Amino acid sequence: QAPSRDAVRQLCRECFSSPPAGLGPLAQRACPGFATGPDEAEQLVSALHNLTRHVVYRGLTEAEDILSLFPENFHQNLKNLLTKIILENISAWRNEAEASQISLPRLVDMDWRVDIKTSSDSVSRMAVPTCLLQLKIQEDVALCGNSPVVSALTLELSKETLDTMLESLGRIRDQLSAVANK
Amino acid sequence: SSQQFSTLTELIFHFLKEPKEIERFLTQLSDFATMNKISLGPLKNIVKSILLVSNGALKRNLSSEQVRADFIALGLSEEKANYFAEQWKVNSPALMRLAVGQTLMINQLVDMEWKFGVTAGSSELERVGSIFLQLKLVVKKGNQMENVYIELTLPQFYSFLHEMERVKTSLESFT
Repeated sequence: QAPSRDAVRQLCRECFSSPPAGLGPLAQRACPGFATGPDEAEQLVSALHNLTRHVVYRGLTEAEDILSLFPENFHQNLKNLLTKIILENISAWRNEAEASQISLPRLVDMDWRVDIKTSSDSVSRMAVPTCLLQLKIQEDVALCGNSPVVSALTLELSKETLDTMLESLGRIRDQLSAVANK
Repeated sequence: SSQQFSTLTELIFHFLKEPKEIERFLTQLSDFATMNKISLGPLKNIVKSILLVSNGALKRNLSSEQVRADFIALGLSEEKANYFAEQWKVNSPALMRLAVGQTLMINQLVDMEWKFGVTAGSSELERVGSIFLQLKLVVKKGNQMENVYIELTLPQFYSFLHEMERVKTSLESFT
């Protein structure tokens, strides 16, 4: 009853990306296009959601694995079409799942500038370079939903602080290469 | 006497280098007064004026020549003024650093802790195996410390490291 292959494709994508709570409204939107009643639409949307999420969760990449998920007497052509659509989208979906994992606030951007302090209330003349670092931080994606909250934090680092920081960053880099070479 | 003056000067510079040690300085002054049979009141006044001149000199980046001239103008003997100026020359780099250190800093980064690990699995992905780096930045906001936690992916970490190295080059070219 689907109008076209692309419509099926689109529906699969929407079903995967939607959180369980969004499936109801999604089903209602799908009703007219697929000429199904509201109950059937809900079942359809729910099934597609579970199927796509399951494939991504288990990390299935082979067509046979996916085909084996369908029940015995499932419509052959539809089964192949769905499998094909899933395989097309699998890596994008996997990235989407990784990006929306729970995490600490994430760094999304960083800018810096070097200023020279020329005078202050404690010293009337000097030439001290200092670094201003601005970090753009995004709060946990899972909490923000569709409107991520990004905050900007500006820090000042003296030369000594920067040197110490670079030492630490160097150690991190060394440990990362040690892990990578194992 | 010049002996007493040099001891007093030593005490004063000691305090200038550690301005927070007020208690200790006051104790040392009263010990000095007792030992030399000088009354504490007048001694304190003298010390106050010396400190005033010293702090003013620091603020205005005065050379030891200028400090010497100032003290002579204030009535100090040439011998004592020379001695003080000598000590000034020796101590001024440390004192300047201290004064610069008191200059305003905005959201100063005070400390950084880090850990990295591997995400093994999640509710959406059974097996993940991606490496993440977590940083805890301790920032001084006004008088309080604030902890900021952020997570970086590996590519972000490498680009952050690269940028910080560029900052270091830039800072070094100005020193």
